This record gives sequence, structure tokens and C-alpha cells, in this order.
Amino acid sequence: MNAPEALTELIAALRCLPGVGPRSAQRMTYHLLQHDRGGAARLARALDVALGRLTHCARCNNFSETELCARCASSQRDAGQLCIVETPADLNRVEQTHLYHGLYYCLMGRIAPLRGVGPKELQFDKLIARACDGQVREVILATNFTNEGETTAHFLAERLRAHGLAVSRIARGLPVGGELEHADTGTIAQAFQARQPVV
Amino acid sequence: MSRARASVIDAERGFVLHLTPFRETSLIAELFTREHGRVSAVARGARRPQSKLRGTLMEFQPLELAWFGQGEVKTLARAEWLGGQALLSGRALLYGYYLSELLLNFVAREDAHPGLFDAYERTMARLAAGELSPAVLRIFEHALLREAGHAPAFDRVPGGGLIRPDRQYALLPEQGLVDVSHVGAHDDSYPGSVLLAIAADDYSAADTRRHGMRIMRNLIDRQLGDKALHSRRLFQELLQA
Ligand SMILES: [Zn+2]
Repeated sequence: MNAPEALTELIAALRCLPGVGPRSAQRMTYHLLQHDRGGAARLARALDVALGRLTHCARCNNFSETELCARCASSQRDAGQLCIVETPADLNRVEQTHLYHGLYYCLMGRIAPLRGVGPKELQFDKLIARACDGQVREVILATNFTNEGETTAHFLAERLRAHGLAVSRIARGLPVGGELEHADTGTIAQAFQARQPVV
Repeated sequence: MSRARASVIDAERGFVLHLTPFRETSLIAELFTREHGRVSAVARGARRPQSKLRGTLMEFQPLELAWFGQGEVKTLARAEWLGGQALLSGRALLYGYYLSELLLNFVAREDAHPGLFDAYERTMARLAAGELSPAVLRIFEHALLREAGHAPAFDRVPGGGLIRPDRQYALLPEQGLVDVSHVGAHDDSYPGSVLLAIAADDYSAADTRRHGMRIMRNLIDRQLGDKALHSRRLFQELLQA
């Protein structure tokens, strides 16, 4: 006996979520249909609206409902600084410091040589065009301190410098309140390599 | 317990070749180890913010690894930083990815290649020290192709005779290196002097560097068939701009 097609299709569709295998997808499906039909309807609408309305901001590449997102359109931000992050989540983390008042560019990924993600896939050209708007004085590279994040930062720095822009990289090392005794060896090694003169 | 103990591998020297996210918080690590060759292992919880493995399980760094399990995919029990070399930076990272991709393509799982491992470790140390000459790549490619049985002896012809520096040799898919006088003009041919330098891993001459790149590339592509190396394409894209 075969399950109804609509049911198997929903289970299959839920598997596109990260970390969701066949069993979790089945559990979610039965939960939505048996116990939370209201939640299911809301989810369906929200997905539909998000897909229809959200696009990438023309300047920062983050998700936006308008051609220019509110941050990029704001006159309160310093247009002379441009911070490059891998993901919208990273952007939110930098915002939470309330220390940075410049603008952003969200790559929506990073160079991943073994997965074939390179400058084309990440639309480096779009970013370079954005950084060369004549107002940006400093580009701050805030990609992750993974090998892929470092690779991304290195090649972005080369290209941005070639366009005469000042490029900086956020510092790496021990976390605030971090004690050497409890830090992992890789972090301590990085902190040593990135040591700075005491001023 | 005794069954599990039989398949525990402890204190093995190795490198991470590639990491792939697995489930919510884990990673699958493709490892290259000295005594067990390529091993695939799940690093449970390695993507959790507090995981000790987060700052340790990185490509291009010598690690001391422990794992257990009998299936094709093992469970990583421990990874310790052996250190002693700087993190790769800049262009060296791309070299590193290229070598990872070669190993993933040419070395089968769980076949030990200690000699090749040592060559890889030496190469990583040179890259970490900022030595970015093409010779570093050629010497590793040579070691890899030799170990995988895909490289001719660069100082001999198949019959056992020595390569002569003053002759030109064609690289034929089946026979290997053959004096061009036996086969006529051939578009994949090399001066004997260059072949002897390649056999000795000596890239001091510009000619050897130029021909060395071509011959290694041809030998690699011959094995890969239609498959293209991602890292090679990215290399070209990133460096040409
Ligand atoms: Zn924006």
C-alpha cells in the first residue's frame, strides 16, 4: 500500500532543511498535519511570501524586501567603511557589538575550493563594483578564521588592493576572558602567529 | 567491549583533507594518516561552539588522531594539535587545497602509504614556511603518481635503458617514455635532460619547471579522465584577475 502522494512529497520537501534526514522529515510531517495545522498553514504562507518578496539588496547583497535595504539607505551609517561578512548571521553578530557604524557586504558564502565555489560563484565582481563606489575608504574583511574564510579574505584583499582600496582584516586570537590554560592549541598557535607589538 | 577495542586506533599521525557538515552539529572528516592511509570519520559535535575539536580539526596541520569503529566511516575519538608549523596563509592555502584534492582522487580509503604521507608532511611544512615555488607542487605530484603507479620512471625507458639527456622522448599512454626517433614527431614529448632532472626532483632549470608542469598535468589528467579538478580551475580564476 502506497502512502498518499501529497504526504510523501511533503516528507521529501522537508529534507531540504539542513540536518533533516528521512526520519525527522516524517516526524515533522505528521506533527504538522496532526497537531499543528495552523502552524503548517502559517509556514506555507510565510515561505510563499518570503520567496516572492525577498530579494538581495543591490548594495549589500543581504536579504531585503526593497531594492536597497534599510541599513544601506540610512544616512546614519558611515559610507566610508565597508565590512565583508560570509553570512547574514555573521552580519548580525557584528551589528550586536554596536561598535561598527559602517556598511556591509554579505558574500552569502565563502571560497570552497573542493566544492568548486570560487570568485564566479560568489560574484566577486559585484562586490568589487560595490567597494569601488568612490565613497568607501576602508574595506574590513570579517570572513571566518577557517581555511576557507582565510582563502576568501586573501583573494578579496588582493583584488581590492589592486583597485587602490585600503583593506584590513579583523584580528584573531584568544576570546575575551580567555585563559591560555583552557584555550585549544590551535587558537593559541593562531594568537602567537598574529601577535602584535605592545603600544 | 573487546570487539570495540580491537578496532580502536590511537595516537596516529594525520592530516585533515576535507570537512563536510554532517547532521546538526557534526562533521565528516576525510583524513590522511600515516599508517592507515585515507580514513573517513565522523567528528561528533565538532560544530558546537564549545567543541574542543573546532579549533583543532583544520586542514593542513599535522594532528595526532584517534578513532574507532569497523564500518567504512569511523568515529573520531580525539584530535590533538601537533603543531610545529605555521598556519598556511595566502596563496599557500590554494596549493594546500590542490594537494588535498589530488589525494582524495588518487588514494583509495584505508590503504597505507607511509612514504607518500611523509612527502605530504614535508610539503605542508614547506608551504607553511612560505615556500611557494612550483617545484614544491611538482615534487609532491611526482611522489603521488609514483605511489599510485601512474608515473613512468623518468630516468629509464621501459626496456630498462637509461634516458639520454641529448634525446627527445614521447610520453605514450601505454608504453611510457619512448625515444621519438622510434615513433616520429609527437606532441607530448620532452627533452631527456628535463626528464632526468624530474627524476631527481631538481627544478632549478626553467626548462624543467616548464616541461615538469606539463608532464605532471598530462599524467594526472590521463588518470582523471573527464573529471576536472576544482582547485585547479579556482587557481586559474583567482590568479588571472
Ligand atoms: Zn543593503
